Amino acid sequence: MHIEIEELAKEFGTERALHPVSLSIPSGALIALLGPSGSGKTTLLRILGGLEFPTSGRVLFDGSDATGLTVQERRAGFVFQHYALFKHMTVFENIAYGLRARKRRERPTEAEIGRRVNRLLDLIQLPDIGPRYPTQLSGGQRQRVALARALAIEPRMLLLDEPFGALDAKVRKELRGGLRDIHDTTGLTTIFVTHDQEEAMELADLVVVMSMGRIEQVGKPGDIRARPANDFVRAFTAA
Amino acid sequence: MRASILRSPSPLPGFGLSFGIMMAILSIVVLLPIGALLGRGLMIGPGDLWDMVNSRRIWSALSLSFRAALIASLFNLVFGIVLAWVLVRYRFWGRKLVDAAVDLPFALPTAVAGIALTALYAPNGVFGQALAPLGIKVAYTELGIWMALIFIGLPFVVRTVQPVIEELDREVEEVSATLGARRAYTLRRVVLPTLAPAALTGFALALARSVGEYGSVIFIAGNIPNLTEIAPLLIVIRLEEYNYDAAAAIGIAMLLISFAMLLAINLIQIWSRRRIGLV
Amino acid sequence: MSDITFIRAESVTTEPRLVRGAVIGTVLVLIAILLFAPLIAVFAEALSRGWAAAVASLGAPDARSAIRLTMIVAAIAVPLNAVFGIAAAWAITKFDFRGKAFLITLIDLPFSVSPVVAGLALVLLFGANSSLGAWFIAHDVRIVFAFPGIVLATMFVTFPFVARELIPVMIEQGRAEEEAALTLGASGWRAFLTVTLPNIRWALLYGVLLCNARAMGEFGAVAVISGKIRGETTTMPIMIEMLYNEYLSVAAFSLAAVLALLALVTLTLKSLLEWRHADVLAATRRH
Repeated sequence: MHIEIEELAKEFGTERALHPVSLSIPSGALIALLGPSGSGKTTLLRILGGLEFPTSGRVLFDGSDATGLTVQERRAGFVFQHYALFKHMTVFENIAYGLRARKRRERPTEAEIGRRVNRLLDLIQLPDIGPRYPTQLSGGQRQRVALARALAIEPRMLLLDEPFGALDAKVRKELRGGLRDIHDTTGLTTIFVTHDQEEAMELADLVVVMSMGRIEQVGKPGDIRARPANDFVRAFTAA
Repeated sequence: MRASILRSPSPLPGFGLSFGIMMAILSIVVLLPIGALLGRGLMIGPGDLWDMVNSRRIWSALSLSFRAALIASLFNLVFGIVLAWVLVRYRFWGRKLVDAAVDLPFALPTAVAGIALTALYAPNGVFGQALAPLGIKVAYTELGIWMALIFIGLPFVVRTVQPVIEELDREVEEVSATLGARRAYTLRRVVLPTLAPAALTGFALALARSVGEYGSVIFIAGNIPNLTEIAPLLIVIRLEEYNYDAAAAIGIAMLLISFAMLLAINLIQIWSRRRIGLV
Repeated sequence: MSDITFIRAESVTTEPRLVRGAVIGTVLVLIAILLFAPLIAVFAEALSRGWAAAVASLGAPDARSAIRLTMIVAAIAVPLNAVFGIAAAWAITKFDFRGKAFLITLIDLPFSVSPVVAGLALVLLFGANSSLGAWFIAHDVRIVFAFPGIVLATMFVTFPFVARELIPVMIEQGRAEEEAALTLGASGWRAFLTVTLPNIRWALLYGVLLCNARAMGEFGAVAVISGKIRGETTTMPIMIEMLYNEYLSVAAFSLAAVLALLALVTLTLKSLLEWRHADVLAATRRH
């Protein structure tokens, strides 16, 4: 899905989290929102997911205005920073949650839900963990379950908030490839937030560098490295 | 969902419903009655209000309620800190039982506590008989009121201080020892100041509860005007005489004491948050 | 020359053994005098004329109607306070709005108001000589000296219990799980039922438990508003006072023993909850 962001701004009281920003995200791209904390990248992601409301500006999904859509109507697969897995449900129940929450007419049968959950467990290469509870999983496993849960609703896009932030360095490297693979298999427009320039450069097709609520530069990883738009980008992307 | 002046927008629904239920019940149960009491005071007028409160019997009752509450809460402040320390730091047989029993005054109805204490301390009771040869009378004297208020206020300081002791960083105590401080000095200069805000909060909560306490006190107090008659009892007496204005006057005096203590509790918490980032 | 090496076996972060022993001993004696003695006294007085007398006194019509009334009052006041507590905690922890701190102070207010003052305030609001009270009486609804007044008084004194337990727990749990449920297509109501409620269930039970214990034992506020009409508005604590003042000691203490047993059950369940579910309760960290 093609996403168009037009002059989007967000204020919290008197604080400006996001100055009017505009951005065009081509369908099927893998995008990194890169910046230090407080740069507005998470706010932008949450506005796209319908979890925050912009003070002004518009969001277009495939050309039609999505600004007023509720979070449920957006059908954005959202992976939270600390995954927000439901602690009192098994992995299976977590992944099945979105399917079971559908209206009766659109809800798949339990047998179909079971098939889909198992297919997703295969996709994240953890076929046997369905009966386990989130507290019994490692950090990397939790992240992949959160991803599978987001994919279960057949989302129109995938939004990930610091998907590797809570993991140690080794697991982080392994899972980067996992996200790339899932993106390539599903073909979903994918946007992830990160403060790690190496992660953004290695994984994304397009990197959006942000600072203090503004977009500093948008470009392919190589272009940003080669031609930083200003001193901030140069300093922040220096490896 | 659009932004409003009062509230930041949220994707979670149910603000109107939950806020409405909250305000409706809060108003009917708490705010309107308190408002009615204060409104009655305004109708009577400050001059008449003062005249009604300004009698020897009411002053003795108010000062007795406050004095006895203060003494009992001071006892509970000291005992509460020691008890909390013992429960967290020492291991002994029956510790879990004592820990659970600390909440007994929260769970035991005040009237039950009242008649039980009276039975114990009355001249023919177990403790009353034991204390009589020493010339100590507890039941039907101010001492009895202290005992009742110590009972009902006992859990407050323990329960506010206990979690702070649990989270005390032992390294700080070790540092103090390596710097040559003796144990008593460490406790006085390092540990106690850390516990102070929580202990004061518990003290203020116990004080607020004790000043207004009624059920556990009236049985053991003897209720002699000017001597062992507490302020809440005076309200009950005035109400039984259908003298609503006089009852309201004493009620407002007590409410003002409550507000003052609530303010004190909040100030203590703000102070402690600024000072050590606790509570 | 001394060749004795003194080895200090104890940690530097504790007191000398002798001090510890003395402190523990003092604390145990004081706890026995202050807490256990009154509890034992209740049962001893109740059973002073034997089991038969105690049980017989509980079968008296007055005692039975008091027990029934207390249970009905609690059965109404406690669920209402639970609804209030859940609504308040949801509004306060899931949304940002102005005046939140002041609102929390208002919710805590009943803890520092004397129960007698609470009863008085209700009498002034709903009594015959207030305009609201007169309106109710004109419409044949009695609140003061009647059942609704007792429920209101009970709700006043137990008001903060559930909300105070839920608010810190829900602040700590944050909003991410509910938000995740919404992004997965769940309605707000569904998110509340399937995500929030299971997360707060132990804290809710804990708050309800304390609320119930206090509701069944409330004395001061009910004494003022109930009018103490025998067999009609006498709850168990009020009945205990009446029997005690009539020198019916066994009857008074037998009824008191029932409430004391309730208190013991409450404490046991409370300890059990703290022991099994310490991680999801606020009270084990803060009171």
